[in-house]
Amino acid sequence: MPRWSIAYVRLVEALCRRIGRFAMYLLFVMMAIMLWSSFTKIGRFPAIWTLEMAQFTLVAYYLLGAPWTLQMDTNVRMDLLYARYSPKGQAIWDIFTVFALMFYIGVMLYGAIDSTVYSFTHDERNPTAWRPVLWPLKLIISFSFLLMLLQSIALLIRDVATIRGQRI
Amino acid sequence: MDHNTIALLMFSTMLLMMITGQRVFGAIGFVAVVAALTLWGPGGSDMGISAVFKLMKWTPLLTLPMFVFMGYVMSESRLAEDLYKMFHVWFGPLPGGLAVGTILLMVMISVMNGLSVAGMAIGATIALPELMRRGYDKLMISGVIQAGSSLGILIPPSVVLVLFSLIARRPVSNLWLAGVFPGLLMATLFVAYIIIRTMMNPALAPAMPAEERATITLRQKLALLRAGLLPVFIFVAMMVPFLKAGPA
Repeated sequence: MPRWSIAYVRLVEALCRRIGRFAMYLLFVMMAIMLWSSFTKIGRFPAIWTLEMAQFTLVAYYLLGAPWTLQMDTNVRMDLLYARYSPKGQAIWDIFTVFALMFYIGVMLYGAIDSTVYSFTHDERNPTAWRPVLWPLKLIISFSFLLMLLQSIALLIRDVATIRGQRI
Repeated sequence: MDHNTIALLMFSTMLLMMITGQRVFGAIGFVAVVAALTLWGPGGSDMGISAVFKLMKWTPLLTLPMFVFMGYVMSESRLAEDLYKMFHVWFGPLPGGLAVGTILLMVMISVMNGLSVAGMAIGATIALPELMRRGYDKLMISGVIQAGSSLGILIPPSVVLVLFSLIARRPVSNLWLAGVFPGLLMATLFVAYIIIRTMMNPALAPAMPAEERATITLRQKLALLRAGLLPVFIFVAMMVPFLKAGPA
């Protein structure tokens, strides 16, 4: 494999792994927010920001973890036929179908950026009592779709390497 | 295009994409995105992102990572192994006793966790090797583990009932209480099935040999019972706030 492609795979995978491991700990942030929410409700001074903040953290938790999930290949596959192929056969199938994945992630990324720009220029707020600005969350969403796109290109390079009988 | 044609086309394309073995979210998402772009035109590109926000505002989703985390804590803490040892010693002498013990282990795990997957993982890693070693019929034990893990979503606490309660706008406490009896009834039926089946054909599930039974003292037996206390404590700690609060 060309040296640039190996460097690309190494770089992207290291980045996705670090961000994924960071996102893993957001679970504890979510727990803390919800625990605080319970305390304020018992103390009769209910906080208005906890539910939305927990939801925002949940979105970051799921989506920032997604590139790492792609990398570890732990997403659900319907492997009725797929599991019977050799690793090489699986790579051949994946080379074709990964473009469908890329197209999907690309359209999602386009929509996310579109929505982020709109939120930023119009100062869009969540229609609730707390009224938080939405662009930071949308920025996180766009960033994770970008990472997923980069990771799926790395998957394609890995599959090509498998077919050539090389290891990265 | 006629709406029936669209539905048929989308469904068949989705199935075709899934057969190729690509990740399921990629296959479904691809079909959805292509359909949105071709049928809605340029506005379809924002449909995906609005779905993300629709899902974000669906509060039940917040409970899912917590339950998954709890399942991990339980499997890493080796709580289930102690429990299994307890059932093993107490039910060993019965023909098919270990299979009965596995079902009871699943009941205990369902009492602490609301997902079926957790019971399946624990059953496959702890119960399966032991049952195989003792010469139980392979077809029977895979059935035992799968049937037992299905109790996870029926016996409270149950994630599926939390999701259902938020969709149907019914109190979670009532739904959880309603799951107790059917869950225990199912467990009893499983146990009865195992006992009847092994009575008809003892070769399926040999009992623990008498010499091994003789080495276990009554004191050890009673000491192992302590493993059963923790699940009961967790269950009470989780259920009492719900029931005291009444219809939430």
